[in-house]
Amino acid sequence: MTTNMSRHLLLVEDNEVNREMLQRRLQRVGYTLDCAADGQEALDKMRDVKPALVLLDINLPVKDGWTVAKEARSDSDIQDIPIIALTAHAMESDRQQALASGCRDYATKPIDFPELVIKIENLLTA
Amino acid sequence: MKLSQTSLSLRARLYLFSMAILTLFVVNVATHLWGSFARSESLVAYRDAAVAAQLVNDLQQGLESARQQTLVLATLRETTDEPLGDAERETATAELDTLRQRLGKLGALGGESTEDYYRRLFDSGSQLLDEWQAFYNNYNRLSSQSSVESPIQYNDTWQKLNELEQRQEALAIERSRTIDGTITLTDQITVIGFITTIAVTMLLVILLIRSTNSSLLRLKTGVQRFGSGDLSYRIDENRDAGEIQDLARTFNDMSGKLSTAIEEVNSSKADADAANAAKSMFLANVSHELRTPLNAIIGYSEMLQDELGDPGEVNREQVQHDLGTIIISGRQLLGLINEILDLSKIETGKMQINLESFQPAAHILQVCDALSPLLSQHKNTLELNLVGAEGHTMHSDPGKLQQIVTNLFSNACKFTDNGTIVVAAEISQDQLTLTVTDDGIGMTVEQQGRVFDTFVQAEATTGTKYGGTGLGLSIVKDFCAMLGGEISLTSTPDAGSCFTVTLPTIGPASNPEAA
Repeated sequence: MTTNMSRHLLLVEDNEVNREMLQRRLQRVGYTLDCAADGQEALDKMRDVKPALVLLDINLPVKDGWTVAKEARSDSDIQDIPIIALTAHAMESDRQQALASGCRDYATKPIDFPELVIKIENLLTA
Repeated sequence: MKLSQTSLSLRARLYLFSMAILTLFVVNVATHLWGSFARSESLVAYRDAAVAAQLVNDLQQGLESARQQTLVLATLRETTDEPLGDAERETATAELDTLRQRLGKLGALGGESTEDYYRRLFDSGSQLLDEWQAFYNNYNRLSSQSSVESPIQYNDTWQKLNELEQRQEALAIERSRTIDGTITLTDQITVIGFITTIAVTMLLVILLIRSTNSSLLRLKTGVQRFGSGDLSYRIDENRDAGEIQDLARTFNDMSGKLSTAIEEVNSSKADADAANAAKSMFLANVSHELRTPLNAIIGYSEMLQDELGDPGEVNREQVQHDLGTIIISGRQLLGLINEILDLSKIETGKMQINLESFQPAAHILQVCDALSPLLSQHKNTLELNLVGAEGHTMHSDPGKLQQIVTNLFSNACKFTDNGTIVVAAEISQDQLTLTVTDDGIGMTVEQQGRVFDTFVQAEATTGTKYGGTGLGLSIVKDFCAMLGGEISLTSTPDAGSCFTVTLPTIGPASNPEAA
């Protein structure tokens, strides 16, 4: 199976139900995915797989999303991979914190799927 | 500054000031009156002296003229023997009476210091005038011998008169000298007193202004310092007396009350801010907790809708699993909303206690039966030990007891895999003891310290790993407190946890506000 790396995403989500759901929906619209369930795994897979984009949940075990985003930015190998933060925190301060820690965009749960796809496409074609 | 050191009241200062000025004024007026009195005394003395001198002069002339007349008549009598007419004799007698009157008047003018001189003059003068009167009376009687030609008595009277005059003159000079001295003295006193009055008045005015000014300055400084935010500043009350001290004291009282009030306001504001922050935190948490199951519900529903629209076979098993996920998430959401409502009722004190008599063992069994599906999810087994409670009745809120058992039981199931959950209850000494024990993941001491806090789970990531909101144990703890009991916890990481609830079998008499 050949993988078009320009449409290969890394989905970081520790909640199994939500991870499976997003994975299936994204595969259905034509993306290939790797998944990670905690922050450290996310960073490891970013370095190994070099995905085109990362969907990063913020409430993560081991290392939370903010830490992952900051560490990714300071690593020259993976600092250019765009990150979209996914969180159930819906306050304006959360959005600002996401952007400040290096995420390129931000999506609030419950996820508006068509809008998420638009955000992904915007970043992939930028 | 003598006045300010003795710290007189403002009123006392003004009284003192007025009294000092009044005293000086009285002294001035008195010396002036003394001077006026001395001047009038002087005038009287000069007038008396002038009158006396005039009388002496008149008396001298009268005596001289009467002497000449008697000498002429005596000569005539010797040479002519012509008798003296009645008219002439009466005229002469009248002249002698006039002389007597003048002599008397002179006596009335003299004081004690001239009395001796006057007495001698009067005796001598009266004798002379008596001689002359006798001369006139016996003039026509030729037999009588006259002694009027002898100058002895006349000269004696003349001499006494001169002595009196000299004495009076000396006295007048002495008196006028004394009076002049007095006038000079009173004039000097008046001038000195006047100048002193001006000087002392000015000094008092300056002292009054300076002392009052320094008092007012202290008040002003106090008001300024306090007004600019130095709430602990107080005016030194002991530097003043009377009204200004009262004012300082009143100001200090006011400052004390104001700073207390300001502290209270600040403290209330801090409390309100903290409560507000807690409320915002609560809202953010509620929002977060509601969004997590909604994400699954909306996500799976949309996904199913999309996939059912795709061409090809429908994977019925897959669809059934996805619908199950939606239902579980929906129930989770409902449970969450109920928990939030309960918590809100507890926090606002609106949670009612519905007391009734019931058998706790039956209710506990009912809950465990209803929740038995949870056991199979994690392949746990249940061990019930309700013997110690069977047959006993308690009077409390059965709904809340069931909620307590539900939350503890579902927690135990959630955090235990392939283990045993033990639910035990017994009643002794009017107390129900309920224990829920598991052999699951357990908690560290540090985690045990915070699991009863609202929206807190043992780990921030527990919710994502095991689900739940962190409200269950908080509600259990509040319910226990409402029913007059308490909850305790023992736990060892990787070995399991044991929650122990103790409740009185006779619940609270009234419906207390939730603490």
